[in-house]
Amino acid sequence: MDLFANLAHGFAVALTWNNILFCLIGCVIGTAIGVLPGIGPVATISLLLPITFGQPATTAIIMLAGIYYGAQYGGSTTSILLNLPGEVSSVVTTLEGYKMARRGRAGAALAIAAIGSFFAGTVATLLVAASGPLLTQVALSFGPADYFSLMFLGLIISAVLAQGSVVKSIGMVIFGVALGMVGTDVQTGQQRFTFGIPELSDGVGFVSIAMGMFGIAEIIMNLERPESRNVMSGKVGSLMMTREEFRRSVPAVLRGTAVGSVLGILPGGGAALSSFGSYMMERKISKGRHEFGTGAIEGVAGPESANNAASQTSFIPLLTLGIPANAVMALMVGALIIQGIQPGPRMVEAQPDLFWGLIASMWVGNVMLLIINLPMVGMWVKLLSVPYRHMYPSIMIFCAIGVYSLQNNVFDVYQTVFFGIFGYMCSKLRLEAAPMLIGFVLGPMMEEHLRRAMLLSRGNWGVFIERPISAVLLGIAAIALVAMLMPNVRKGKDAALQEGG
Amino acid sequence: MSWKPGRRLLIAASIPVLAAPRAGSAQAWPSQPIRLVVPFAPGGTTDLVARLLAAGLQERLGVSVVVENRAGAGATVGSESVARAAPDGYTLLMSNIASHGISPSVYRGRIRYDAVADFAHIALVISNPTVWVANPRAGIRTLADAVARARSPQGLDVATSGAGSSNHLLVVRMGQIIGKELNHIPFRGAGPAMQAVIAGQVPMMSDSLPSASSHIRQGSVLAVAMAAAQRHPSFPDVPTFREQGFDLASESWFGLSAPAGTPAAIVERLNRETRAFLATDAVRARFAELGGSAGAMSPEEYTEFVRREIAAWAPLVQASGATAD
Repeated sequence: MDLFANLAHGFAVALTWNNILFCLIGCVIGTAIGVLPGIGPVATISLLLPITFGQPATTAIIMLAGIYYGAQYGGSTTSILLNLPGEVSSVVTTLEGYKMARRGRAGAALAIAAIGSFFAGTVATLLVAASGPLLTQVALSFGPADYFSLMFLGLIISAVLAQGSVVKSIGMVIFGVALGMVGTDVQTGQQRFTFGIPELSDGVGFVSIAMGMFGIAEIIMNLERPESRNVMSGKVGSLMMTREEFRRSVPAVLRGTAVGSVLGILPGGGAALSSFGSYMMERKISKGRHEFGTGAIEGVAGPESANNAASQTSFIPLLTLGIPANAVMALMVGALIIQGIQPGPRMVEAQPDLFWGLIASMWVGNVMLLIINLPMVGMWVKLLSVPYRHMYPSIMIFCAIGVYSLQNNVFDVYQTVFFGIFGYMCSKLRLEAAPMLIGFVLGPMMEEHLRRAMLLSRGNWGVFIERPISAVLLGIAAIALVAMLMPNVRKGKDAALQEGG
Repeated sequence: MSWKPGRRLLIAASIPVLAAPRAGSAQAWPSQPIRLVVPFAPGGTTDLVARLLAAGLQERLGVSVVVENRAGAGATVGSESVARAAPDGYTLLMSNIASHGISPSVYRGRIRYDAVADFAHIALVISNPTVWVANPRAGIRTLADAVARARSPQGLDVATSGAGSSNHLLVVRMGQIIGKELNHIPFRGAGPAMQAVIAGQVPMMSDSLPSASSHIRQGSVLAVAMAAAQRHPSFPDVPTFREQGFDLASESWFGLSAPAGTPAAIVERLNRETRAFLATDAVRARFAELGGSAGAMSPEEYTEFVRREIAAWAPLVQASGATAD
């Protein structure tokens, strides 16, 4: 068995004292920055890059990878406890996770987030080891037209995210897409809707929107209603999951792992879609779907598993093609190049220590993260009993620091303030932030792929139905759209929603 | 580029005034950490080389050199922040072809710094040619093949890392020369563009050599032509544009700059240390592997170089239509 021999070799590399130490350092730093709102893995990794120069390449990359998935683990903590998502994937976690925390089930939400992530990480690691090169072909078979259709499908079903009025949520999706249009046009380099403000030329900041619309707006709402603050600190609840909660989570974790593993392979957008795709799925087919909107554990278990599976499989394009799927991966390529290693298809043969060592260390890192995070659950939950008058100023300060650190620019802090106030107004009007964020993330990608597909097809729209992948995805989107617009079906949905929330 | 003689005079006049009270501190320079602003997001070639340089300068100057990424608007956001910083030698910039060559034309009239007068240019760090690569199964092995494809009814798609980059402008120039516009397919960064070429969705790409070099070595793409005056020492088998009958060259570059008014002694010291660092064998080897060559210019030569680049790019930016008006 080649795979086992290779994995054994990988573990031999990953389990040297030095590599274990750096993996642990990476995981601890990653968890810490994940918990601190706004401070993302990109800023941290670029700051720590010089430290790795003195280490062997394998050790360096093991540490950087630890920071990356450590941040994914840590990010769910603030989403669940404080309604503060730092990344696209954690936006979904706030939806049910924060509701669970408010019901006094923060402990269970955090525990399932950690356990689900661990399970998904294990499966995805095996997948990377067993069929990485094969899966590369999947990524390569996706052309611009297919990406467009995938994003379009995501956007159509994002209306399902709505917990209230469908019309309002479609409105928010469209508003999000419009916000995403701000910035430099990729095709022509023209500035769009920037009003002559240079800081807007790269678009409105995602983290600013997410922090403002979720975190800051929530703080304003809580300050307005003294009773809701006390509810938070009053009910800490039991830390452990009940047997019922565990039983309900199992299928959600399995489905989330599958969704995340597949979507993670697609560079750009794949990982972002995964947690959100899993949320949709749980909301439609899980046993607890009637509880969605009030803190259903499936809504945390599924997306958290999907998100972690995707962050592991997103290493596939990097390891097999040498092409980074996102900014963090781009930094890792940089780290490798500084070490004199060219990532790419030959890396498996030329650098077996690095390749298999990294894969083994992914699993080792996941074990460490579980060990770090599970005992911390109690501590995090205790944090909720801190009086709100002490809590909210600290959250605001951390948000400001985190947002500033993204670009070292005060403009981002102003943006956050703006979206905080805007988010508060939206809450008052019962307009939901999640569909807007999905629109903001998917809209520009959709436009980019659409225009690229049209450039390549010389303006022939047929390309979207001629390509089988694209045709299937558009077909599903059409069915979803019809189902949503058919009055009787919609009535059924509304009734189900009223029941749920 | 609109020149404002009044402003330049003012800056020139202010140099001695600014320098005088700092003469004492210039003696002790460097006595505190130095910020090296990279006007791009982390992970690109500029960022990488800046980190290598920062490590080298740190060792030579004995104080920490901290890389700070301030991306945005064709590298102009970070550059503007340095143009406005105190000229005390503690704020430096990775000036580059985008912020100091192309963006002055792209963002004409809206850019809030003068790429020559608002900076004390210190040293050229690295320059590297553009290379045209093709998918090995696309049937394009020479520029003649590419031109034939471009003139056929099918046309030729060429991917780049983005509109308004030097790689894109080379595509525009090639189109002008052969009298048939190439179908430019811009991507968000070199990574996704390269993936599309490897997957065969786009047959060809105009890319910087450092980001393409590993893919060329691995054979996942075929190098068709190097946009340089001579064949590149690391890729002796790749013919130049000129050898294939097109008198085109395109080099992208970046260097080290400081705000205008930085004391001459500091500029001179930084130039000396940077060139000494670039001359080390380790750096030369690493740069050669990437496909770049280390710079060896004096501050005056680098300033003149920046001035020439701005003048050279202006008409091409016009032709490409990539202006942010």
